[in-house]
Amino acid sequence: MLIKIAWRNIWRNTSRSLTILIAIMIGLAAALMASAFSMGFVQQRFNNVIERFVSHIQIHNPDFVHDGEVTQYLTNPQEIMLKLQQNQTVKQAALRTKANGIIASAKVSSGVQITGIDPQAEQRLTDLKGWLIKGAYFEGVKRNPVYIGQELATKLKADVGSRLVLNFQNLDGEITAASFKVVGIFKTIDVAFDETTVFVQRTDINPLLGGEQLAHEIALLSDDFDQITKLKQQLQQQFPELEVRSWEKLSQELVLMQEMTSQSLIFLVFIILLGLGFGILNTMLMSVFERTRELGMLMAVGMNKKRVFLMIMFETVLLSFTGAAAGMLLGFGLISWLGRQGINLAGVAGDSLAIYGYGNMIYPYLETPFYLQTAFLVLLIALLSALYPAFKALQLVPAEAVRKE
Amino acid sequence: MAVIETIGLSKIYNETIVPVKALNEVNLAFEQGEFTSIVGPSGSGKTTLLNMLGGLDKPSSGSILINQTDITKLKERQLIDYRLRHIGFVFQSYNLIPVLTAVENVSFIMLLQKQPRKAIDQRAREILEQVGLGDRLNARPAQLSGGQQQRVAVARALASRPDFVLADEPTANLDTQSAFNLLDIMEKLNRDENITLIFSTHDQRVIERARRVITLVDGAVASDENHGS
Repeated sequence: MLIKIAWRNIWRNTSRSLTILIAIMIGLAAALMASAFSMGFVQQRFNNVIERFVSHIQIHNPDFVHDGEVTQYLTNPQEIMLKLQQNQTVKQAALRTKANGIIASAKVSSGVQITGIDPQAEQRLTDLKGWLIKGAYFEGVKRNPVYIGQELATKLKADVGSRLVLNFQNLDGEITAASFKVVGIFKTIDVAFDETTVFVQRTDINPLLGGEQLAHEIALLSDDFDQITKLKQQLQQQFPELEVRSWEKLSQELVLMQEMTSQSLIFLVFIILLGLGFGILNTMLMSVFERTRELGMLMAVGMNKKRVFLMIMFETVLLSFTGAAAGMLLGFGLISWLGRQGINLAGVAGDSLAIYGYGNMIYPYLETPFYLQTAFLVLLIALLSALYPAFKALQLVPAEAVRKE
Repeated sequence: MAVIETIGLSKIYNETIVPVKALNEVNLAFEQGEFTSIVGPSGSGKTTLLNMLGGLDKPSSGSILINQTDITKLKERQLIDYRLRHIGFVFQSYNLIPVLTAVENVSFIMLLQKQPRKAIDQRAREILEQVGLGDRLNARPAQLSGGQQQRVAVARALASRPDFVLADEPTANLDTQSAFNLLDIMEKLNRDENITLIFSTHDQRVIERARRVITLVDGAVASDENHGS
């Protein structure tokens, strides 16, 4: 009965209730949308970094992790690869050779990290080919092709077909130089990466370094994102002499960013809801003051304080949850739709986002727990907003209240 | 034996500033099934006496025995429960719950008393039939006339079969015909259900129908006349 009265009371003043309902609906939908946009922004960065550069798990010689010396290679990479191929959780894996060096055109030189790859295997792992904007992905140049970023090409004043010289230290500690021909130019969303990373074939760089089978890194993708931690532990047990690291360890700033974003967004939602809470409080306070005589009558005929309190609480919670449900539905609909369509920021941001390693397309998304946390916050705010009007109702003196005009 | 008895009942408002004596040593007894009007000029203490009898206000001194229970000694929570189970109220301005239908309004107190649902429904319909609103069960207060609303209020007060009903100026807002209809109904229910009815009123129409008329002047009983049935 109390819930029935509470629900009907909400609709006694339709325009006032609708005003606050619409305010809650729009406020909450906007808060969810803003949160989904931020999460999409972070997720885009995450996808780019994890799926396209870092991959899910990397395996190194532990010394290489600390010093990054060319001599700190994996001792038996082919054997490790064979074992990885037998592991059903491993979707793709590829070997990489790493060396720090200097790349020089006729007029300019620049420090770079040289990554030796097996182009076909790498393509299956990181979509390096997808970043190609000019030339080809390791096709058309038979000897010493190099795949460089647009930023570096601009800096070196190089183009497809240009000859560049790579200088680096070989396994014997001697400086080696070799001429490479630009086969393709790529452009990722990370300007710094495009300026400091060049890709060559392992089959070209390894002999120059002094080891045909040389590899410093194995990068791999799991077939199930949720199983990465388990796979990492399994591989670490399988290769105890190596250092096996998952993306969380490899990109700690991403983990921190994800956690901070999630926490700050729920705080943002809380602030917005707190503002709406004052609107709810105002509506309920007006409602209580308008019904002084009725509340007095209820108390006079024997409705105890607990029930009066509960009735006001029910009214507030029902009002808030009706608005919140509408807001969540609207927010969910918008997020789902924009999550498929994407939001293109190219018009407003141009290429500036790329400086910070972000792309222009944002696909808003929110995980289910966020909706649940928001629902909990709505309940909390509704209950807090209801307290003052409910206590005001309890302070009424029935004998006086029933005579109020 | 008296159902209600007041002994030396006094009420002083603003005791510390400018004391106003609203009731002064009132001694009254009401028998089961009485139909009593409390009359007197404005400020004579009618409403104060009714509030005391209904447990809505505490006296400054004296006691109120209802079925031998001194309600002035009850704690607030006990008093609320006492009102719920033993007293019916009819107010001047009807004071129905606007969002509930007539039958829901009448059921309300019985629901608070946690009576069985089926019995509540049956009793609510029965008493609304008795007050002549059998065809308006599902009408909301706004869809009823003033007289009809006050009949719903009477039905609500009587539905739970309280020990007595207190009615504060119940006909004040009604036209003559509606007032007579209401008094007929209340008289009938008083007779049929043997419920004690106590009115505060200025209304001569009510005074003429009452079997006992108590006149208050300046908070004291000036006369207590029995008009017989």
